[in-house]
Amino acid sequence: MRKVKNCCIIDDDPIFIYGTKRIMKEIEFSEKLTIYNNGEDALNGLKESFKLTKYLPEIIFLDLNMPIMNGWEFLDQFSEFPDHNNAKTIIYIISSSVDPRDLERVKNYKLVNNYILKPITPNDLEFVLNITAV
Amino acid sequence: MKTAFSKFTTSNFTDAFVVLDSSLKVISYSQKFKNYLFSTTDIIQGQFFIDLPINTPDKFLKKLENCLESGKSSLQKTKIKLKNDTKLWVKWKVNSLESSEEKGKGILLVIEDISKEIKFNELLLRAEKVSKTGSWEVDFINDKLFWSPMTRIIHEVPKDYNPSLASGINFYKEGRYRELITRLVTNAMENGVPWDTELILVTYKGNELWVRTQGEAEIKDGKCLRIFGTFQDIHAKKKKELKYRITADRLKIATDTSQIGIWEYKINENILVWDKNMYQLYGISETTFSGGYEAWENGIHVDDKERCNAEIGYAIEGLQNFDTEFRVVWPSGEVRNIRAIAKTEKNKQGKAIKLIGTNWDITELKSTRLKLERSKETFAETFKNSATGMALVSLDGKWIKVNNGLCNSLGYTEEELLLLTLYDITYPEDMVASKSLLEEVLNNKRDSFQLEKRYYHKSGGLVHAILTVTMVKDEFGKNSYFIAQMMNITQRIEAEQRLKALVELTKGQNESLLNFAHIVSHNLRSHSSNMSMLTRFLATEEDEEERKGLNTMLKNATDSLADTIEQLNEVVQVKTGALENMQSVSLLSYVTKIEHSIKGLIKEQEANIIVDVKKSHFVLAVPAYLESIILNLYTNALKYRSDSRKLVLKVKSYIKEDFIYIAFEDNGKGIDLKRHGDKIFGMYKTFHKNKDAKGIGLFITKNQVESMDGAIHVESDLEKGSTFFIKLKQG
Repeated sequence: MRKVKNCCIIDDDPIFIYGTKRIMKEIEFSEKLTIYNNGEDALNGLKESFKLTKYLPEIIFLDLNMPIMNGWEFLDQFSEFPDHNNAKTIIYIISSSVDPRDLERVKNYKLVNNYILKPITPNDLEFVLNITAV
Repeated sequence: MKTAFSKFTTSNFTDAFVVLDSSLKVISYSQKFKNYLFSTTDIIQGQFFIDLPINTPDKFLKKLENCLESGKSSLQKTKIKLKNDTKLWVKWKVNSLESSEEKGKGILLVIEDISKEIKFNELLLRAEKVSKTGSWEVDFINDKLFWSPMTRIIHEVPKDYNPSLASGINFYKEGRYRELITRLVTNAMENGVPWDTELILVTYKGNELWVRTQGEAEIKDGKCLRIFGTFQDIHAKKKKELKYRITADRLKIATDTSQIGIWEYKINENILVWDKNMYQLYGISETTFSGGYEAWENGIHVDDKERCNAEIGYAIEGLQNFDTEFRVVWPSGEVRNIRAIAKTEKNKQGKAIKLIGTNWDITELKSTRLKLERSKETFAETFKNSATGMALVSLDGKWIKVNNGLCNSLGYTEEELLLLTLYDITYPEDMVASKSLLEEVLNNKRDSFQLEKRYYHKSGGLVHAILTVTMVKDEFGKNSYFIAQMMNITQRIEAEQRLKALVELTKGQNESLLNFAHIVSHNLRSHSSNMSMLTRFLATEEDEEERKGLNTMLKNATDSLADTIEQLNEVVQVKTGALENMQSVSLLSYVTKIEHSIKGLIKEQEANIIVDVKKSHFVLAVPAYLESIILNLYTNALKYRSDSRKLVLKVKSYIKEDFIYIAFEDNGKGIDLKRHGDKIFGMYKTFHKNKDAKGIGLFITKNQVESMDGAIHVESDLEKGSTFFIKLKQG
């Protein structure tokens, strides 16, 4: 099974990050993992690394409720990201919200591939990996 | 003697004369005399005058004898018959012959043809007889044209005017009149047919004149000798006649178009005559009409028959005029209402012989009249009893008549209201709309309008109404007055407004409840999902160090869950039953109290707190909420102070519009309101990279302020500071 080369988690919950990291390690999800704690940090960090490497992560796991810049704002600004080949980046929303308004709103973003409800499980990640690997 | 007489015998003597001796024997005569009166074989010489075949009256002989005796001359007119059988008027001049030897011994008779003179007199007489009649004659033999003075007057020609046949005809008006007279004259001259007709002349002076012209020709041996005739000025008569004809025509058109039927009933003969309109009125054709009384009776409605018969009877007896209404039933079954009027004509003995009358259809009129009466009644009833305000309003907006409904709605008595105009009680904001619509109605741009507008009640309150205004016109189509209907919808509007407010409130509450539910669900889920994940790891983890770490994390997650539940509890408490605990409290004492409780923190941060709260300012508040609000704003100011400068917090109070405002102005980090403005008081919204930020404080503060019927808002500039404004009721 092929690994994802570059993956990114944007979430402010340390326990979630810990858990996800741990599952990723178990199933050998990706070669490289980057963590940001809110949208603004992620936007700045991704810009910076794009400048250096000309690459963006293949997969981004994005939380919605975060301080400073939430997931929605990140999506809006990432869509306007200059020069990036965003067709290659797949974004998964990972949230505890079961609010149907959120699920509806996600449909407006072409960048977003799917909505995964917390807690994240090894099965969820294996599924993502399978899709990306094919 | 011989010589004396012989000079008369010369044959070239132009006059006809005869010489008689004292015994009245013919001594001598002129050739003309002989030629005129006698055939060539007649012997005249030596004959007694009375033996000559000339019809001379006895009077004439006496004159001759008288002349012999006295020698006096005289004149005698007689009609004589010439040898060619023509009769001729002549004048005999009786002269006594005198010679030097003898006196009264002979007579000279000279004959003069005076038939022309006589004719003239005849014509003149005729002309005089009939007023305005002139005569004329064209003598073809002598080629002479004669116009009598009256003819000249009619033609308005000057005295010296010399007419001819052609110029006479040319006096007739060009066109059909001149053509007709030419034809008539020609016909008379060729065939001897006299004429008598009425034509228009154009006089010498250019006036048009109706004349009656009569004429005939005298024809002998197929040759027209003369034509003669008369002119009569009939202009006045003709004018009258034409006028009468126009009137008659007009009457005919009028009866035809108004469909007035005319009938005549000869009583004794039982003959009923109808004009065309009558058949239409009775819906029958002329061919099926039998022409008797029964024909009329048959058409009448069964229920009206008896009465009509009686009324006809009364009219014949002269008891009353026939003037009635009845129904007729057409063969098709259609029933029409007929109005009938008749006059009774009587003979010399005073007996009725004839009824002449008219019929016309009043079905539409009757139904319209009925409708009008009904609508008048209904209107009056409605006007009086309607709960809807109704009024008649003059064109300048004055009330003419108002009903109780209107008075009740506006709170005025009828007398008070009649002193005011429509505009006096109109709410100023609705004036323009009302006036412009009324203008449109006044200018015939529309017949009526409906408008929702407001009036002032006598008490000063507003009355909401639906106003309907309709223009009433007089019979000439001119604007007369308005009918205004005013439906009072104040209660409805007020209920609507209350309902609207209630709906808004409910909607808001529903929305915040929904938000709250999702927030709660989200927060509880995020902790529980963490916990389920961690317990899953724990179940399989064997490494002791790792297990320790997992346990710590699990404890943190459990603590967070407990915190969240506590916060949510606090929020729920704010939402329920706050108002009963409201009391008037001194703002300053609370500010001082809170400041005191966090003295340590303030000192640690070296913050400068400037309090400008008036002692007199009391607010209506739940004490615990007020404490919580002030504390939260103080700690927020401390938490989100600028990294580059020491905190300065100004706490200030002031009164505006019966409310007390408390402003908390800091010089901290500030908030990007463009980005976060809508979320700043939202639950679990944080805007700073501050570990303590939980996104619950301002949410609870807002809820607490609002539960006390207050309000909160913020003004802020990034890196300059924020000011929170709390508005509370005065205590």
